[in-house]
Amino acid sequence: MRKLLHAILLGLLGAGIVHIIVLLLVPEFSERDAWSRLAMASDLYKMTRLDAEAGGAPVVKSVDPLFYAAACRFDLTDGMVRVKAPGNVPFWSISVYDRSGYNVYSFNDHGTTAGLLDSVVLTPAQMIEVRKDLPEELQGAIFVEAPIDEGIFVIRAFVPDDSWKPTVSRFLDQGSCELQDF
Amino acid sequence: MLKNALLTLLSLAMAIGGGGGSVWYALKTQDGVGAIRIGQWTAFPDIGTPAADPYSKARVAREGVLALGRAEGLSFIAERDSSGEQLMRQCAYTIEGGFPTARFWTLYAADQSLGVVQTGRPRLAALQSYQVLRQPDNSVIISVGSRAAPGNWLLTEGAGRMYFVLTFYDTPIASSTGLSDVTLPRILKVGCNA
Repeated sequence: MRKLLHAILLGLLGAGIVHIIVLLLVPEFSERDAWSRLAMASDLYKMTRLDAEAGGAPVVKSVDPLFYAAACRFDLTDGMVRVKAPGNVPFWSISVYDRSGYNVYSFNDHGTTAGLLDSVVLTPAQMIEVRKDLPEELQGAIFVEAPIDEGIFVIRAFVPDDSWKPTVSRFLDQGSCELQDF
Repeated sequence: MLKNALLTLLSLAMAIGGGGGSVWYALKTQDGVGAIRIGQWTAFPDIGTPAADPYSKARVAREGVLALGRAEGLSFIAERDSSGEQLMRQCAYTIEGGFPTARFWTLYAADQSLGVVQTGRPRLAALQSYQVLRQPDNSVIISVGSRAAPGNWLLTEGAGRMYFVLTFYDTPIASSTGLSDVTLPRILKVGCNA
């Protein structure tokens, strides 16, 4: 009887240890995280629609039904990346995520001068280089300094009603995500 | 000898089964560590940030979530009405009260996977603050159900569990200090289709 009790106690203790180990290993070994899902859908530096509107199931979960969203993956070791989208929509917001899907920076259209989306993501080291001699064409851009290599850039845009759908779709589809030479 | 082997096996089975199962259960429930509860509404302000707890991190990795940033907004999820009963798609509800400061908010009825409820009708099971009618004191009354209702109507249909997802965009409450004195609307059950 005492042996059985001993075995059960040991089992409970082991369950606690396994619980902690499994919990900490889930993020390391997950093949269902946002990066992996996007990698299956498209290449680096390619804007991909996240919402179901573009056809097929939504790539990444937790997109508000009244929002359209697009994302592109980038690798800052290749150089800095510039994201632009033309036109005016009621509300847009930006998030930059690192490889494991953590939000490292976010801003919305009230953070810009004219409400136009023009942003550059770069590492602190690249920022020092750019500061030395800021090119004319980058004067109005929002610089996002992110200490990461691989990352995901997500644009979310609000669709207040059906009449806005074409405009917001155009806004996202014409969005570009390109390596910026410097 | 055989008894010892059996006891070892029991310990191992408990450790592996219990440990793995408890992680799976903890990740499945909406509640949990890092949650902020206001009335019936639950939010995870830290989710998707490096400061999040291990449970939120595991949930982000397992479900491929790209959580809203602080400058974007904050989402609240409700799974029970004010009497503590689970929200069901076959029931009618009233959501009433004031909403905290934000540029705008959206409200939608969600299924288990937190996607919007599919009603099979052209009308989306979602509302946003620019289209709602307000009371003289700026509060909002929303009728939820499968029958069209005057005022603000949130369409739901079908049967089974339901969640409400209320998201505030460009809001000061997303910063940690703003959450202390926020009140969110109440969810009252009106009746059910048996």
